[in-house]
Amino acid sequence: MPENKASKIMTTGEAIERFVRDGCELVIGNYTVGTCYNQISEIIRRGIKGLTIYSQSGVFDVEMLIAGGCVDRAVLTYCLRSGGRSGGSMLERRQRAGKVRAEDFSNFTYNAMLTAGAMGYSFMPVLPAIMTSDVFKVRDFMGEDKFRVVECPYTKKPIPVVQGVNPDVCVVHVQRADRHGNAQYWGALGSVKWACLASKKVIVSCEEIVHEDIVKSSPHNTIVPGFRVDAVIEEPLGAHPAELSGCYNLDVLFWSLADMANKTEEGFMAWMDEWVYGVEDRASYIERYVRKFGKKSLDALMARPYYSAPADYGAAFDSMWDEEGKMRYWGKTRQEIENILEERGFLIDVEKSD
Amino acid sequence: MSKKATKEELMIIAVAREIKDGDKVILGVGLPTTAGGLAKAINAPNCVLMTEAGIIDFEPQVPPNHIADVMCLRGFACAEDLFNTFTTINYRGFVDKAILGVGQVDRYGNLNTSFMEGGPTTGMRLTGAGGAPDFIAYAQETILTLRNGEFVEKLDYFTSPGYLGGGSERDDSGLFPKGSGPTMLISTEGIFRFDKVTKEIYLESLLPGFTAEDIKAKVPWDLKVADPIKPPPTPTEEEIEYIRTFAPQHCVPRQVMMELAAGKFMEVLFGKNKKE
Repeated sequence: MPENKASKIMTTGEAIERFVRDGCELVIGNYTVGTCYNQISEIIRRGIKGLTIYSQSGVFDVEMLIAGGCVDRAVLTYCLRSGGRSGGSMLERRQRAGKVRAEDFSNFTYNAMLTAGAMGYSFMPVLPAIMTSDVFKVRDFMGEDKFRVVECPYTKKPIPVVQGVNPDVCVVHVQRADRHGNAQYWGALGSVKWACLASKKVIVSCEEIVHEDIVKSSPHNTIVPGFRVDAVIEEPLGAHPAELSGCYNLDVLFWSLADMANKTEEGFMAWMDEWVYGVEDRASYIERYVRKFGKKSLDALMARPYYSAPADYGAAFDSMWDEEGKMRYWGKTRQEIENILEERGFLIDVEKSD
Repeated sequence: MSKKATKEELMIIAVAREIKDGDKVILGVGLPTTAGGLAKAINAPNCVLMTEAGIIDFEPQVPPNHIADVMCLRGFACAEDLFNTFTTINYRGFVDKAILGVGQVDRYGNLNTSFMEGGPTTGMRLTGAGGAPDFIAYAQETILTLRNGEFVEKLDYFTSPGYLGGGSERDDSGLFPKGSGPTMLISTEGIFRFDKVTKEIYLESLLPGFTAEDIKAKVPWDLKVADPIKPPPTPTEEEIEYIRTFAPQHCVPRQVMMELAAGKFMEVLFGKNKKE
């Protein structure tokens, strides 16, 4: 079977080893929620360097990758700051130290780069008022290419545009996927789909790998078709301490402790020692969590179900032949149809024909 | 009937009363979502609450942790994505009001949520632009909330356009819907509006415990003050009841919130040991 020779199902370690290389462009597919912390942590443990990261809304994902020394350049829209004015962020610290360069977009203009890339366009118009903002005027490593201005061929008005981008790899966590990589995600959609579709390789981790029949009965939940996905990982609680719709809530306690730690570089590096470098994988991370905070704290995060009403994909029939063996539109049996073709000379014996 | 209220509650109530029935409203996280919830529960039951994550037409059960939090809802009417929210809803002119938090604001309602005390590579990095510049540009009205921010003569970084240089400059630029822009700013000390002609911000009313002089001392230009100055909103029993039940964390001063949260943390982390 073709599935055996090219199985996409693998561990987080195997997927990161195969697809995330030093110096590549990496997009964090999740937007604020469902963040693939399992994959982020693995990238850091493997010591991957020189990344250009794309992040729609950076929280600890961006902070961790920067703290891990993985990032040279960051394309950003929004980023966590811990501890208000007296605190800071790893991004701020490393940027001031000249170790990380950042290009700041708005949520929409950033998303537009991915959407253009996903659609195969070299650029995408953005909302014109951005031209009044320093988001448009202040440029870092993207320079002139950050925004350009074209004339609309119809209205003759100036239109700011962003370039289409195709990051080398997208890392993303979702609720479920099948073995082919059809990834199903629901909740706050953000730009998750566009990050996947823009990228050259897509690594999907999920709470559960499900049978393809489940996917086929709910295709409206699929955000990226399997043929675009290169790795499928089953990683329960892969997004902790972020939340995932229908699975678990944001871990406010754990989150706040990380946030407090992040007021200083030393604090956050100690947090990294404990929760990234100090564990081998997601399972041992969860083990450590339960040891430290108790199973009760973990259980308290688990979502109570609130199911979507099933969408009925049913049809009137699933065969062209009715109960009496007659073709539904013609009222003839297969034998009757073949007889007509034979009588009229439409059936050709290929071996005997001239 | 009036009830005793915290400053935080008065801010929420003042913002909620700006939302009219039927308004389509983009909400930032924190005070704006609680105000949105209050409006929908009391004065604007048919308003449509939205966030840029594509959560369209929702009714929060608990205050969201951020703008992509769907765990605070029991479903929502339309799951859009971010790209479509900014284009098909925002750019097409279907946002009546946006409610946004502010770091720095100047006299014409231009905003900075990106960098302070220096430029991008050397300064203090705030959270960033997020959705603000694209929403304040195309929402018909924008309500600004200033909690830990400041008034400045010149922004350290111009993240989001208010009335640009004031007067008719915003309308004349041809880049914005006519007549759009920020209409109200609320701080922990007062409520501000924008002059219809000059577009300069002025103090409209004071929250209890503050004088116009207190506020003027924190504004680096000669802040104009309404005459007579309006009284602060008088909360109703119903409003207080709703917000204290729905969002106790938004009703108390920050220091009280921190103390109460720290107490709970200690209980989770060390509670077992105490009992033994």
